[in-house]
Amino acid sequence: MTTGEPTLASIWEVLTTILDPEFGVSIVDLGLIYSVECSAGNVHVVLTLTTPTCPAGAWIREGVLAALRQIAGVRDVRADLVFDPMWNVRMVTAEGRRQLGWSIGA
Amino acid sequence: MIAPRSPTAAGARFLPGGKSPGNEGGIAGRPPAQMGASWLATQGRLSLAFMGLGLAWLGAATAMLAASPGVLAIPHAAPAVVSLTHAWVLGVFVTVATGAIYQIAPVALGTTLWRERFGWWHFGLHAASVPGMVFAFARWDMALLGHFGSLFALGIGLLAVNTWKTVRRSGRRDAVARSLQLAALWLLSTVVVGLVLAANRHWHFLPLDPLGLLRAHAHMGLVGFFLTLLQGVTFRLVPMFTLGAVPDWRPVRAGLWLSQLGLLVLVPALAFHLAYLACGGAVLVFAGMLASGHGLRQTLATRKKRALDPGLRAFVCGCAALLAGPLVGLLLLWPASAWGSAPGGLGATPYALIVFLGGLLPVFAGMLCKIVPFLTWMRAYGPKVGREPIPTAGALSHLRVESWSLCLQAVAVVPLVVGACTLKPGFLLAGAWLLAAGVALFLGNALAVLRHLWSPQCARAPGSLLP
Repeated sequence: MTTGEPTLASIWEVLTTILDPEFGVSIVDLGLIYSVECSAGNVHVVLTLTTPTCPAGAWIREGVLAALRQIAGVRDVRADLVFDPMWNVRMVTAEGRRQLGWSIGA
Repeated sequence: MIAPRSPTAAGARFLPGGKSPGNEGGIAGRPPAQMGASWLATQGRLSLAFMGLGLAWLGAATAMLAASPGVLAIPHAAPAVVSLTHAWVLGVFVTVATGAIYQIAPVALGTTLWRERFGWWHFGLHAASVPGMVFAFARWDMALLGHFGSLFALGIGLLAVNTWKTVRRSGRRDAVARSLQLAALWLLSTVVVGLVLAANRHWHFLPLDPLGLLRAHAHMGLVGFFLTLLQGVTFRLVPMFTLGAVPDWRPVRAGLWLSQLGLLVLVPALAFHLAYLACGGAVLVFAGMLASGHGLRQTLATRKKRALDPGLRAFVCGCAALLAGPLVGLLLLWPASAWGSAPGGLGATPYALIVFLGGLLPVFAGMLCKIVPFLTWMRAYGPKVGREPIPTAGALSHLRVESWSLCLQAVAVVPLVVGACTLKPGFLLAGAWLLAAGVALFLGNALAVLRHLWSPQCARAPGSLLP
C-alpha cells in the first residue's frame, strides 16, 4: 500500500464497484451513499439501504468497509448506516434509472 | 474534506442521523441490519434448508405423477390420488411456503425469528413426517398416518408459535403481520382436522360424511393457509423485488378480511353439505381475491425495476391463475350442477389441477426462483462483498432456462386438465411428461445455483465487483 491521502474520486470509484445483489446496480447509482468524507486518510461514509430490513444490508456495509480499506493511503474507515432520511426512489441516479429501465416520469 | 459529488437525484438531503459510536461506524436502524457477525454467518440457513427440501419434493412429486399419470383418471378420494396430492401439497407447497415464512417474516416485520432452534426442530419433524404420510396414504394405513401426521402437526405447532411470537415481538399490526398469524393458525387447524379425519377413518366416531369433511379440510389449507399467506407477503415481496410501493393498503386489508369471512362461511358449509351457503363463501373468497389482485396491480404499477424477471412473472401469473379456483369451485358447488366427485367432466381432479399446478406451482416456483439465488448469494458471496469480484444474486441463475422451465410447467396444465376431464390417457401422459420436462429444467437450474454454495465462482463472473 502506498502512502498519500486517497482522493474522493478514488473512494467514489471503489464504491461504484459494489453492486446491490438483487438489482445489479451499484450502491452509488441506487443512491445508497449519502455522503463521503475523507480527512488525513480517515474515510467516513454515510450510507443507507432500500429498506431498513434489507437482508443483505449488513453484508453491503461490511463490503463498503472492506473495499475502502483496500484503497492506498486509507488509514481508517467508518461506515454509518442510517435511515434518516429514508431512502426513496428519487435518490436513484440517472445511470441507475437507465439500468433499471425506469424513466423519470414513470 | 467533504464529498463534492452528490450521487442522488433532486430532493435528497444528506442528514445522517442516529450514528452510534465505534471505530467502524454504526447502524441507526432496526434489526436485522444491526446483528453481529455470528448472525450474519448463520442467516438464511433455515430457509435454505426448507427450500432445498422443497426442491427435492418437487422432483419426487413430479416423478410420482410421471410414473403413473393414470391416477388422475380415478376418483379423487382413492389412496393413490390422496397420496399424490399430499406429496405435492405437503412436500412441495407447504415446504416452500414454510421456508418463505422463515425468510420473509423477519424481513417483513423488521425483527428476527423468535426461536431459530424451533425452526430447526420443525425442519427435522417436517423432513421425517411428510414421506411417512405420503407412504401411509398410498398404503391407506390410517394408524401409520396418525403417527407421522402427529409428528407433522408438532412441527406445524412449532411454526405457529414461532410465527405468532415473532409477530408479537415486532409490534406490527398491519395486513402483512395479520396474514402471517392467520396463515399459521389456519395451517395448524388444517393439520388438526386432517388428523381427526384420519382418526375417524379408523374409529368412526364422527357422524358426518367423510367427503364433506375432506373438502372442508382441503379448503382450510388452500384458502386458509396458502391464500391468506399470499394476501399478505405478496405486498412485501413484490415491492422489495421491483423497487415499488404499496400505494393504497385498503384493497390489501379488504382482500384479507373478505377471504377470512368467506372461509368462515365456506368451511362449515362444505362439511355439512350446505350448497348455497358454500357458494356464498366462495363468492366472498373470490371478492377477497379480486381486492387483493387490485392491490397487486396497483403495486406493480409503481415499480421502478420495469422488467419482471421470470420468477416474478411466474409469481404474478400464478396469483392471477388462482382467481380461476373459486370460479371453478362455484361451478362444482352449485346445487343444480351436474359435476361432482366422480372421475370425468369438470370434477374435483381438474379443479385441483387448476389450483395446484395452474396457480400454486407458478407462485411457489417463482418464489424459489427469487429466494434460492438470494439466499445462496448471501451465504456464498455475502462475506466476499468488497473483497473480491462476485456475481449478483440474479447472475447465479440461467434466466433462459428458468423461463423455459416455467413455461413448460404452465403449458403442461392444459393437457392434464383436458385429460382429467375427458379421461383420455394420452393427454394425461403428455401433460405429465411436459411437466416432468419443465421440472427437470427447473431443478437443473436450481442445482446450478446451489452449486455456488460449495464452489463459489468469483473471477470474471457476470455483474462482478471490483473488475
